[in-house]
Amino acid sequence: MDNNIIKEKLIHTGAEAKLIYGKWFNKEVIFKHRIPKNYRIIEIDRQIRTIRTLNEARTLIKVKNFGVNVPQVYDIDTFNSIIIMKFINGEKLKNVLNAVDHDKKKRIFRNIGKAIAKLHQNGHIHGDITTSNIIITSGEEIFLIDFGLHETSDTIEDKSVDLHLFKRVLISSHGKDFRFCFDKFLEGYRSVYEVDRLNECETIIQNISIIETRGRYVKKEDRL
Amino acid sequence: MKFNKKICLGIESTAHTFGVGIVDFEGNVHSLVNDVFIPEKGGLHPALVREHHLNNFMTTVHKAISGARCKIKEIDLIAFSQSPGLGPVLRIGALVARMLSQLLNIPIVAVNHCIAHIEIGRLLCKLKDPLTLYVSGGNTIISAFESSRYQIFGETLDIPVGNMIDMFARDAGIPHPGGPKIEILAAKSEKYVSLPYVVKGMDLSFSGLYTAAKKLIQSEQLGSSYTINDIAYSLQETAFSMLTEVTERALAHTEKKEVLLTGGVAANKRLQEMIQSISNEHHARFEVVPLRYAGDNGAMIGWAGVLRYKSEGEQTILKTTIKPKERMDRISIPWRI
Repeated sequence: MDNNIIKEKLIHTGAEAKLIYGKWFNKEVIFKHRIPKNYRIIEIDRQIRTIRTLNEARTLIKVKNFGVNVPQVYDIDTFNSIIIMKFINGEKLKNVLNAVDHDKKKRIFRNIGKAIAKLHQNGHIHGDITTSNIIITSGEEIFLIDFGLHETSDTIEDKSVDLHLFKRVLISSHGKDFRFCFDKFLEGYRSVYEVDRLNECETIIQNISIIETRGRYVKKEDRL
Repeated sequence: MKFNKKICLGIESTAHTFGVGIVDFEGNVHSLVNDVFIPEKGGLHPALVREHHLNNFMTTVHKAISGARCKIKEIDLIAFSQSPGLGPVLRIGALVARMLSQLLNIPIVAVNHCIAHIEIGRLLCKLKDPLTLYVSGGNTIISAFESSRYQIFGETLDIPVGNMIDMFARDAGIPHPGGPKIEILAAKSEKYVSLPYVVKGMDLSFSGLYTAAKKLIQSEQLGSSYTINDIAYSLQETAFSMLTEVTERALAHTEKKEVLLTGGVAANKRLQEMIQSISNEHHARFEVVPLRYAGDNGAMIGWAGVLRYKSEGEQTILKTTIKPKERMDRISIPWRI
């Protein structure tokens, strides 16, 4: 039995989880293991790891139905906080972004916009949209990963915050191209919203600039 | 005593501490005097703090000068806390600094309080480029130096962690300052009562945690199902785990090799232990600013003033207006390029 589950190699260590590549009944998989943290007491540690593992696995299963590309979940081990999911053969967007040409970049960001809009229309907030959490396959397919901070919500505010965080990431790590990328992203985002929900979509986008002026210690005259 | 080095008088006046410190241009602290306003009940009312500082500032200035065994005319530079803080209170520090500067014809520089905390920490702990967790009654910030600014990687979205602990202590009938007493109570328990844990990306929120803990001490079950010690323990464990998680994420992201813990809450041994643990895991050197310099004080303002003066020279009086809400990531840091 155990021969069917093989952990082969550690491919990434994040602050929260380890990603291990391996085989699960002859399928190529990723073991996402939320590791125990010994700085916190066991009660808090177990609670956080279990809740986030369950939340992420449930979300991955759910959002597939909306036509968003995410890794297929094969198995969940809640006791050890491990999700076994399909291995996506591709590159992190962060690592390839500087090498892609203008037209490809345009297509990529439009498609990301579409994927996020599908999530939002169905009341799902990714919570951590960054260029490291998007995978591009050789066939130029977009996969969203890492739903550890996902929330279920249908408010304008939460959706705007989701977009705002992505904007912040684009500015800080891809400064010079940020305008173009974010505009194409919004184009894709808008295109998914149908005519009767366009107002909602515009409100979400406008709300981003309100959020930006709301941070701690932002001057009164800069507030909207 | 005659000084062979240039000296700077720093004035801290952002909240409950009116502090004066004298440092020389090479980073030696010659005196540090704090006058702390302690409310009889409740929190810090800006008008009362202002009155207190206004009535007592001259004594503090005198003590600092005589402590450094110098004369006021020997001072080469005046620095004061310009931002961020309580408006009426900042104004007293600015008033005293401008008066001394103009009366004695000494150059003046305005200083950001948060940057001063980081700079005195770097000086005393001999760090080059740390990731800083600054936790106090007025601020909760995770910051590191990147693209010529002290960038804010994470911060509180509502109340600072020190304020949250103080407020809880007050509700539990513990007089100001509550932090150290909560730490003692927490050490007596190992029973965890579940409390909300709120981390949003790199940012934190403590208001829900405060309300939940407050409800627990107001509940009839206090004394039967759990004690005040258990709540103090759970409150600390939850809040500090949140801080540590975000600090670890920032550490993994920035890949800094040093971690600095400062601010009033830095005195807490349990928090030190947790930050030490993640620093070890990421092979980073961990330092806590010595208690006297971790809380608000004039020496840190003096040192930050020296750094700015050395690279930019003195400021005109017009440049020294107070900025109660200034963010530290908007300020250029010419001495660190």
